[in-house]
Amino acid sequence: MKKNIFAVFLGLGMIFSTGAKADVDVDKADAFVRQVTSNGIEEIINANVSQKVKDERFEKLFNQSLDLDFIGQFVLGRYWRTATPQQRKDFIKVYRELNIKTWSARFDEFKGKSFVFTGSTPSSSKNQVFINSTVAMGEGAPAKVVWRVKQTGNSFKIVDIIIENVSLAITARNEYTAFIKNNNGNVEALIKDLQQKVNAPATSKKAA
Amino acid sequence: MKKTALFSFVSALALLTASCALATNVDKHDPNDPYESFNRAMFEFNMQLDKYILKPVAKGYRAITTPDVRERVRSAFNNIKEPISAVNQLLQGEIKRSGTSVGRFVINSTLGLGGTFDVASAWGLEHHPDGFEETLAKWCVPSGPYLVLPFIGSTTPRAFTGEIADSFTNPVYWLTEDREDGYYAYAGYVAVKTIINREAVLDLSDDLERNSVDFYTTMKSAYMQNKSKLNTCGNESQATYDFDFEIDEEVDDMEI
Repeated sequence: MKKNIFAVFLGLGMIFSTGAKADVDVDKADAFVRQVTSNGIEEIINANVSQKVKDERFEKLFNQSLDLDFIGQFVLGRYWRTATPQQRKDFIKVYRELNIKTWSARFDEFKGKSFVFTGSTPSSSKNQVFINSTVAMGEGAPAKVVWRVKQTGNSFKIVDIIIENVSLAITARNEYTAFIKNNNGNVEALIKDLQQKVNAPATSKKAA
Repeated sequence: MKKTALFSFVSALALLTASCALATNVDKHDPNDPYESFNRAMFEFNMQLDKYILKPVAKGYRAITTPDVRERVRSAFNNIKEPISAVNQLLQGEIKRSGTSVGRFVINSTLGLGGTFDVASAWGLEHHPDGFEETLAKWCVPSGPYLVLPFIGSTTPRAFTGEIADSFTNPVYWLTEDREDGYYAYAGYVAVKTIINREAVLDLSDDLERNSVDFYTTMKSAYMQNKSKLNTCGNESQATYDFDFEIDEEVDDMEI
């Protein structure tokens, strides 16, 4: 009898744990990433509009597709807990602005390139999945680009992009937490430094 | 006999890594980067070297070549490394893949005009570069800690050992009968390859440096993450970047 009860609980536990990890619609997540890359290429890179319009479109696509509140919280690591509500708000704002400025300037480098989607990989985090893709890079081996997608209800957002095994979220987290640590745990110093980078003049769009 | 030789080699490598650790002042404040003080000093030295020598030369190379010419040169350099891949794929027991690398080298060196065109890929022979570092990783040799060496840059004991071993299987080294001439030919090859690689990342590295608040940590993190894809030791079921992305939980620094 005891064995049966144990088996029931074990079974229930397995159902719930499996359910939690698989609680993401993989097909929709895949379609979402395809749509984001397609919009980026057709409506921004290949569009015959001014650079100003391209930048505006990029900002809109960026804000719609990436969950910067979630990523920003993650990249601040343990310092998120010690930051004041105002510092958290300021950090997310400046982190968003710097990312938009950086990626907007480099987006044209995807001109003539296309993503080939190669399936998905489950994630150990609930409501998340990895959508795998490759991008042809000249005559070398294609670059592997993986999109980490988080589902909230019927909404999908990208929470990390992994290029050749390098997670942008982890890299930013390592960099920012090291900076704060070297500045005696001062989150304000990081916000100030990032703001200076946002305010610095933009560089030329693309070299030869 | 084969296993004994392999064990001896791996032990020697482990000993080398350990002696490196003992020979250098260990920076105890970060267990993930035990040589951080040394590494940061070397990183700064290499940055100056890059600023005044390598970057201007790479820019000059870009100025006098077209993107298509650079693509042809990159292709030729990729082709030179096919025999290295073939040897290492044999060491890894990947017989078919090794045959593909040999086939690619023969086809691209002839029909591909000295490797400047990748004809073999169009025939279904896919490019799969492998070096001795990949072989060591396949033999489950750990990468060891992050190191920055003067002139060489980011590396690990495993990666550096791999580079040394690859130099002896590089066809350029065996172009001449005289070993000393071979050494100089290889040194020239490395110099040109360094310029080609630097040119390829001119814009990206400028951007990274400009937008980074701690460029050393950014480079270390990216390098070690990229290398971690080799650390599966035969178990490739879970992606190395599948860290726990749960921000509500107590989290400590996540150094990779």
